[in-house]
Amino acid sequence: MSKVWLGAFALATAYAAGPARIQFPTDIAAAGSFPAKWIAGSPSAMDNQDPPIQVHWYNPHTAILRENKAYNFEAAFMYLYFGNDRAILLDQGSTALPNFWPLRKTVDDAIASWCARNGRKFEDYELVLAFSHLHGDHWAAENQFVDRRHTRIMGLSLAQMVAFWGIEHYPEEQIAFDLGGRKLLIWGSPGHVDEEFAYYDTYTQILFTGDMFYRGRCYITYWDKWFASMQRLIRFVDTHPVKWVVGCHVEISRTGQDYTYGMTYQPDEAPVNMEVATLRRAFDVAKTITKPGIYFTGEVYLCNQTRGSITMDANPYAY
Amino acid sequence: MGSSSTAPCLGEADSATLDIRPRRRFRLSCRKESFVLKTAMFLFCAAFAGAEIRTNYEVAQPASGDLRFKWIYGSVCNALNRDPRVQVVMYNEDTYVMRQNIAVHHSAPFTYLLMGNSGALLIDTGATAEARYYPLRATVDALLKHWGDLRGKADLPLTVVLTSGENLYQNQGYAQFRGRPNTRLVPPDAAEIDLGGRVVTVIPTPGTHKDGVSFYDRYDGFLFTGDFVCPGRITIANDVDYLKSIARLRAFRDSHPVKWVMGGQIDMQFLPGVEYMRLITYKPMEHVLQLDPAVLDDAAATAERLKGKADVIIRAEFAMRNRVGPDFRKPGTREADLPPVPVVGMLR
Repeated sequence: MSKVWLGAFALATAYAAGPARIQFPTDIAAAGSFPAKWIAGSPSAMDNQDPPIQVHWYNPHTAILRENKAYNFEAAFMYLYFGNDRAILLDQGSTALPNFWPLRKTVDDAIASWCARNGRKFEDYELVLAFSHLHGDHWAAENQFVDRRHTRIMGLSLAQMVAFWGIEHYPEEQIAFDLGGRKLLIWGSPGHVDEEFAYYDTYTQILFTGDMFYRGRCYITYWDKWFASMQRLIRFVDTHPVKWVVGCHVEISRTGQDYTYGMTYQPDEAPVNMEVATLRRAFDVAKTITKPGIYFTGEVYLCNQTRGSITMDANPYAY
Repeated sequence: MGSSSTAPCLGEADSATLDIRPRRRFRLSCRKESFVLKTAMFLFCAAFAGAEIRTNYEVAQPASGDLRFKWIYGSVCNALNRDPRVQVVMYNEDTYVMRQNIAVHHSAPFTYLLMGNSGALLIDTGATAEARYYPLRATVDALLKHWGDLRGKADLPLTVVLTSGENLYQNQGYAQFRGRPNTRLVPPDAAEIDLGGRVVTVIPTPGTHKDGVSFYDRYDGFLFTGDFVCPGRITIANDVDYLKSIARLRAFRDSHPVKWVMGGQIDMQFLPGVEYMRLITYKPMEHVLQLDPAVLDDAAATAERLKGKADVIIRAEFAMRNRVGPDFRKPGTREADLPPVPVVGMLR
């Protein structure tokens, strides 16, 4: 149902009189850039002077947001894609209260600036809130948007998430979602949890893999589901142009050092964006894994059925 | 109060008879007494102004003090934390407990300042070297100045000791005291540190650190044990040494009055047998700092069970690990004699 409704809405908007439509070509990846260094915490967290959320414009129609580690150590990355008719915000961070962590205001400011640049009316522009998966560090600030006009918000259960995209055969089915000339491809990607999606943006050719695959510790709760999701991702990158694979966190240094779960300072953090080759190498390693344990692919850690509360740290004082 | 007077002992108030006469009469009698008291205090102050006051730290029982409050325990967002960088609590007039703000360093360690007639002792120095983040030296200086003004003792010599020279959660603030005048920065090689009537015993306790040391303050009846025994993560570095040291500490406890075991950190929750994750910086349900001396028996028995094994055992007041990482857990670690814990959802 919702696909039909969305299609009708898109058509209606397309034919309505309005500003010139932006073209989002898909033949080559839209140009864009990542910052040389993201905000990555500070030696003393209470003395951190960075903004609560770093807003980086990857290109004029794509913003990437990062949560400050001094507000929450999860330091989640969030992706804000703009289309002619609506924007989508993938993930809503780890901190719920707006007076602690102003996601709504930051996103509204970003949308207002985009609308001003592109001749849209902020009041009429739609926002869609979706998230990668059902963990609290990916939707915590969702409630900051509940009273926002022209905003649709994904529900917090697998049934609601699947219905939100109109997916009938989860996780295999792939659907397309139109932001107005800019198309996203969405399909199920469970394994880290039961409820997770992968999001591919046809304009930037960025593949967002949530917590199922990112530069850090991929906590794999269900190996078989995760491996099947990896196979789906590999099939996808075999058949579609992918410029970058991005995740929700970075938990590793440029030299491969693991930043322990809970750290509030990552001075030599590796970049969030990964080459497709990183995904392929991880898949090659995954094919050899038969037992629970922690496996390093050279770029990411695959934590197969290890408890999330266990770290790789040893007792440095043992003698 | 002259040179032979005893220290004020708050515990004695417990045995004083309560005044249950009508409030009005009590007030009247108070007024009369207060005139006499005030005059006496004025004469006393006039006579002894600027003179040094000597305190007798030889007490029959541990001196009384107060820890009835909640430690600063972090905040949802570290960047918005407005708690003091060093929380200072006066246990009694001659004993101060300081806690490092958890938003400066996740270990939020405790340090102790003890005053005597001829010297002060700082046990442990916290986890951060930079004074602008963690002004331990300035805090200690202010406390010594204030205390010295009251007792007529300027420039009380300070000794700084560590429960372990290698423990990064307790040795970082040490750097702030380098070059401080009138200060002794030595690992104690003596069996005792005499602060002038207040004697602190040094007990070698290797086990969680090769150079581990505990301190016993007879005046308060405190055993300062760092991370050797604390309401938190006890990570054994050498189980043979740990067992020897805990036996030594128990023998010491049995022959000396010990009121509390005062560790250097808290990782446990108020719920028995539940620990906080190591790097979490918001701990609203922390265990209290002070432990009953009987905890040493539990620690000894637990260490005995862990001897030679790579494992974790979680007890009501501590989580002890041997030959595994500091975050090692496994299902079913909670012992059967601990009460059940309500299940709460994981974040990730």
